[in-house]
Amino acid sequence: MTRVLDAEPHDSGTDVTAPNRADEGYDTIFSYRELARLDEALTMSSRETGLRFTLYIGDLGPKTRIRAEELHARGGDPADSVLLAISPGQRVIEVVTGASAARRLPDRACALAVLSMTNSFSSGDLVGGIVNGLRQLSDQAGHPRGARTH
Amino acid sequence: MTVVETLLVFVVAPLAVYVLFWALTYLPGGRKRQGVVYKPGQPWDHEPVWYEPQPRNAPAHAAGEGDTQAVGSSLYGETASISSGHGASGDGTGVLTSGSGSGSGSSTVGSSVIAGTRGATAASADGPAPAPGGPLGGARGTW
Repeated sequence: MTRVLDAEPHDSGTDVTAPNRADEGYDTIFSYRELARLDEALTMSSRETGLRFTLYIGDLGPKTRIRAEELHARGGDPADSVLLAISPGQRVIEVVTGASAARRLPDRACALAVLSMTNSFSSGDLVGGIVNGLRQLSDQAGHPRGARTH
Repeated sequence: MTVVETLLVFVVAPLAVYVLFWALTYLPGGRKRQGVVYKPGQPWDHEPVWYEPQPRNAPAHAAGEGDTQAVGSSLYGETASISSGHGASGDGTGVLTSGSGSGSGSSTVGSSVIAGTRGATAASADGPAPAPGGPLGGARGTW
């Protein structure tokens, strides 16, 4: 007779290997192709500008600005980092620039990038909006002084 | 060319092409989409994620070039370039204040000076400074 195979899923990863495993138990918000686009956009805009662009996607609570600034302060080197905090459930995006990053990225430029991002988000294109917004922000910030990129 | 051949070539063959592309487009079981399809307005009940740029790895540039010797000050050794950027931006504020002293209001100039000096002290003091280095900028948007 057939009977239901009663097996529980288990993870055979050890303490060493478990953090490297990407195939089990992780929330796949984006496909690999989208992750590659996000990764390239974040990495290249950070390298070109010398600023540190990070991207948070998740809930921001009732006070979105305060939460985003907390996150920005928690990341490494807050003065030079730019945080894009996106809460798709609340339909809110907050861009937080650190003290020295704000000199190269004025609020007006951030608002323009936010506008283009929200335009893409409202049509359901999260990744495309993020990539274009990062491109706009890094174009505005330009190269750091004294950096030889070419 | 008989009538049957004519029909086959001019009617059945184009129809076959159309049907093939229709089937490839609309029949299910094609490429499966990974990830979520975001629609504005749907609830977002996923774990928060935080993406960072990839660290500039050590073999990419020479070891002595703008590299801090403080081992363990950062996980990735990325703070060397950033702290040297602090010095450059500190110089930049001097230029900016001298340039914008004639144009813009004095309050913004003063705030940028304060931010510049704070950034310089944060760069001279080794170790990551958890305190925010000045006024934060940014923008907010909804959709």
